[in-house]
Amino acid sequence: MDIYVLVKQVPDPEANVKVKSDVELEIENKYFTNFFDEIAIEAGLKLREKFGGKVTVLTVDNKKVDALRRGIAMGADDAIQITDPALEGSDPFAIAKTLAAYLKDKPFDLILAGRQAMDDDAGIVGPGVAELLGIPHVNMIVGLEIDDPKKELKVVREVEGGKEILSCFLPALFTCQKGLNNPRIPQVMNVMKAMKAQMKKVDLAALGLSAVDVGGQAVKIKVQKYLPPPKRPPVKMIKEDFPENVKQLVKLLKEEAKVI
Amino acid sequence: MSNEIWVFAEQQEGKVRRVAFELLSAAADFSKKTGSTVAGILLGSGLQEALKSLTSYADKIYLLDDPGLAAYTSDAYLIHMAPLIKEHQPSILLGGATSTGKDLFPRLAMHLQTGYAPDCTGLTIEENGKLIAKRPLYGGKVFAEMIYLEAKPQMATVRNNTFLVNQNLNKSAQVIPISSPIDPSSLKKKVIGLEKAAGAKLDITEAEIVVAAGRGIKAPENFKIMEELADVLNASVGTTRATVDEGWRDVKDQIGKSGKNISAKLYMAFGVSGAIHHILGIGTCKTVVAVDTDPNALIFNYADYGIVGDLFQIVPALTEELKKAMAEK
Repeated sequence: MDIYVLVKQVPDPEANVKVKSDVELEIENKYFTNFFDEIAIEAGLKLREKFGGKVTVLTVDNKKVDALRRGIAMGADDAIQITDPALEGSDPFAIAKTLAAYLKDKPFDLILAGRQAMDDDAGIVGPGVAELLGIPHVNMIVGLEIDDPKKELKVVREVEGGKEILSCFLPALFTCQKGLNNPRIPQVMNVMKAMKAQMKKVDLAALGLSAVDVGGQAVKIKVQKYLPPPKRPPVKMIKEDFPENVKQLVKLLKEEAKVI
Repeated sequence: MSNEIWVFAEQQEGKVRRVAFELLSAAADFSKKTGSTVAGILLGSGLQEALKSLTSYADKIYLLDDPGLAAYTSDAYLIHMAPLIKEHQPSILLGGATSTGKDLFPRLAMHLQTGYAPDCTGLTIEENGKLIAKRPLYGGKVFAEMIYLEAKPQMATVRNNTFLVNQNLNKSAQVIPISSPIDPSSLKKKVIGLEKAAGAKLDITEAEIVVAAGRGIKAPENFKIMEELADVLNASVGTTRATVDEGWRDVKDQIGKSGKNISAKLYMAFGVSGAIHHILGIGTCKTVVAVDTDPNALIFNYADYGIVGDLFQIVPALTEELKKAMAEK
């Protein structure tokens, strides 16, 4: 199987992110490979173990390639960085367009991605790429059963109140949700190897795209203003002894917060 | 372009999700400012009940009732919705930030080449019909107000419980039946089954009240007391990453950065320390209650009401006390 995994380096959940001005954020320099992307890489590697073939990790980023290194350390065969100054300011639709332009003439069987990137939390790139390539997609998969890549496969997605089982044929694109697998921890030797690995770089010209297709010129929606999260008033600690504290809580929920 | 605001009236097994009524109520408010027509778009099979539940909430309902649409797939919905949107050119298209909304809307927006704001926690409208969508970024560490450029419709998915349902809209919708343009068997993807989760509780993203326990619950079987508390409040039971990673609870109930964001009216956390991963998932809950044995637990910094105490003592007592309070209602 020829598998491509879309990956991204994003701020670590512990990283400080603050509003610097109406249109600018201050992000602490603490990054990790998007949690859901590691699940996607793992899913790709498992399928390669079963059917043979190749896993390629792919990112669109002008600076950060550590997600590619993570992919190689975990066992991916190849890593591609799409980089071009014109990509600055791209929205997820432009990123999807760029990825689709790269993938459209590749002999892929399956494209995997995380359910969303933990920065803009948008979840647009995966379904967007599938739309542009004209292949089916399923979001937030928690199960994947392939007996034969040429035949109908089974995929399970999470829905409210249960799990939905779908069937489809490859080629397809799936976005991966926690619960699909537990991503492997790369061995130290492989991490060292990944540090030295050469990423293949691809620019927009090679994809037949130009500056007007991506970047700030192509956006359809933009940030008017960044805002800090709404502040909660200070906590009211209920200091009475048990069981009076429980009675007091119920009273407050009923009469003050009016939520029950 | 028409001056219509469309709401995707998502239904499952013939029942329209509450978030659709929330959005129709918000759209009715917007229409007072913009003079828009509010339309619901309802797709599925055997939709009589669903249609009936919607008619007082919209001016128009575009109805696609077809056996080929019995189960949702993005392929089938897109093929039916896209031509309709192109024909009628609504100025706005809203949907719930549900598993289906988040599956369909990005693909549809890409197909229509228009702007889309996912997982919003607020929407406002200007008199000229320009939508401003507010959404959390970086798991809720910051928020952004997004505005749309020229392309229409302005699309957004919105979290459950962002708007209140207005039951007094008293509209009587004109129903516009649309016939299916395609043979559904030509589609590449199909749904072959639905495995329902045990119990009848709502998903934690949909429930108005969520009660959760973290590692402080000590063992998976102890969640029984949480279930009992939830039953009194018609609430759902959530949890933290720690208990999911231990294999005590299903990932579908995990609140936080690698789990789900909830916007409950009331959220109560028991034995939850308040790691940033978890806090990020409850940022838009209205009232937060925290109970933990550690007076320095971080969760208290994010709560409205706090009790330092043992959950094994508090939870059963609270269940009893709430039973009394609910009986008085």
